[in-house]
Amino acid sequence: MIKTDGLMKAYKDVQALSGLSFNAEDGKITGLLGPNGAGKTTCLRSIYGLIKADAGFATVDNISAAEQPLEVRRRIGIFPDKFGLQERLTAREHIAYFAALHGLRNDTLKEAVERVIQELDMADIADRRTAGFSQGQRMKVALAQAIVHQPQNLILDEPSRGLDVMSTRILRQLMYRLREQGRCILFSSHVMQEVAALCDHVVIMVHGQVKAEGTPQALCERTGKDSFEDAFVELIGTEEGIML
Amino acid sequence: MSRVFFTIWRKEMLDAVRDRRSLMAAMSYALFGPLLMAVAFMVLIKDVVSERDVRIHIDGAENAPALVNFLEARRILEGTEESPAQDIWLEIPDSYADDLARAKPIPIVVRADYSERSLQSQRNRVESALREYGQTIAIHRLTLRGISSEVVQPLQVDRQDTATKGSRAALVLGMVMVFVLMSVFFSGMNVAIDSSAGERERNSLEFLLAQPVATHWLVAAKATAAASFAAFGGILALLLIPVVFLFVPLEKLGIDFAMSWTQQLVIALVLLPLALFASILQLFVSFRAKSFKEAQTYISLVMFIPVAAIFALEFTRFEHPILKMLPVTAQHNVLFSAIAGQPLDTMAVLAGSAITLGLTLVLVGVVTRMLRSEKVVFGL
Repeated sequence: MIKTDGLMKAYKDVQALSGLSFNAEDGKITGLLGPNGAGKTTCLRSIYGLIKADAGFATVDNISAAEQPLEVRRRIGIFPDKFGLQERLTAREHIAYFAALHGLRNDTLKEAVERVIQELDMADIADRRTAGFSQGQRMKVALAQAIVHQPQNLILDEPSRGLDVMSTRILRQLMYRLREQGRCILFSSHVMQEVAALCDHVVIMVHGQVKAEGTPQALCERTGKDSFEDAFVELIGTEEGIML
Repeated sequence: MSRVFFTIWRKEMLDAVRDRRSLMAAMSYALFGPLLMAVAFMVLIKDVVSERDVRIHIDGAENAPALVNFLEARRILEGTEESPAQDIWLEIPDSYADDLARAKPIPIVVRADYSERSLQSQRNRVESALREYGQTIAIHRLTLRGISSEVVQPLQVDRQDTATKGSRAALVLGMVMVFVLMSVFFSGMNVAIDSSAGERERNSLEFLLAQPVATHWLVAAKATAAASFAAFGGILALLLIPVVFLFVPLEKLGIDFAMSWTQQLVIALVLLPLALFASILQLFVSFRAKSFKEAQTYISLVMFIPVAAIFALEFTRFEHPILKMLPVTAQHNVLFSAIAGQPLDTMAVLAGSAITLGLTLVLVGVVTRMLRSEKVVFGL
């Protein structure tokens, strides 16, 4: 379970977060939807404990990210905004490295790596060095390293950007599977269709604040619009920075 | 020690070993340094040992055949077609024989451009040969008059060289040791850059920092990985030196060079703290850079300082107790005493190493703080 409460963060001249509060429940896919520059990435970074908020707090499984960042990071898997791979390692070594950083050892580690390789159907590329991987293959490695330690919470930052249809399908199936296992999935996106199709719960954020939240359907009903797209435009009050 | 430390260290080592660029950098300094010195020595030895003929112009050689013979015996010859004379003129006056017979001073001219440095040793040889010949004649004249030649030599200077073979070696071999120190600084450089600025360039830094790893272990592991290469380069250079000098006839220079296994072991141990210090310094610089290239630029600027310090010490032989304690200069001091055959000042060595390690720890702390700062990490 991921929770933020009154998160505030200002950079030099920009107020990135201004009192952001939302919950992402276990067993649900929560979408953080907002136009570019709404503060999505800043919000996620405060949840990892990489950024200290000026006010408010973020918790993961009721543990404060600011106070116990290591404990929080043990409970989350991260699919980052930009995922650079270590190009001289094979996919398997890559996944094993991050599994080891999460404290897995020996046989447990091997099993975990093997399991995730099977799960993401990447046995064919597992022992190749990641240099020269296609975008889809790179995504699989990034996903594998995010879930190899079976975190209770999975955070994805703009996951489907630049992915082809097959990769998007794999990503989606993985998210459904994790939801069935009762895990908490939080993903940020500025792509509406994706959020509308995938999410059980949508948090619409603009200018570092929550504008509205609920199921996609509830949001439509609330605005009296038929399509989620219209509802979204109505809610954020502008068409700027949104991708349909 | 934290297991995470070994995990990161192992990964960085694996990564670096697979990176040809890092490996080549580590090897090249260690290999080429001693080789370069060996070649330089070979040339030097040839130059010093074989005294070459000096070819000069002699005007009026027919006036003083005995003098010309004497000069010839000292390999000072008149220029010929095949070996033309250099720009040194010796003028023997026509009155030579007469003046000699009457014991009158004979004006002999040595004409040359005295600001020409390349002819300095030749000029000196001509002049000292003439002086020697003049003295021989003087002694003959005194003997003929029944006076012992000792009368005109009230002082008998006996030059006793206290330079041991070892200390003479130190003068020359100091340069070789500079290469050992430099390979410590340059061998780990690529690994340091790749695991810091490279990580940022690959966009993998943020993800790595979001792992449940205490930042100081991350920094320590990366520094140790770079230091492993730095130490490898330094020790490789150290081991190669005796091997390379097996082929160089150093004894012809009057240099006795021997490095025992224990000496090498001590030096290798002394290099370890320096390797750590060099690596964390490089990490400190290159974590601030946005790309590999930028980091290389910064590092080459920063690396100029220790290299300049080493060279300055090597040329000036400046000594101060403080220098035995500071990083780089402390290690230089140990290397230098080892080749000069001086006994090691154990306390100074330990203090120097401890201070180097202490500064390394401080820098680990500084880099850790840097990586916890969102300003540095995200460049905000």
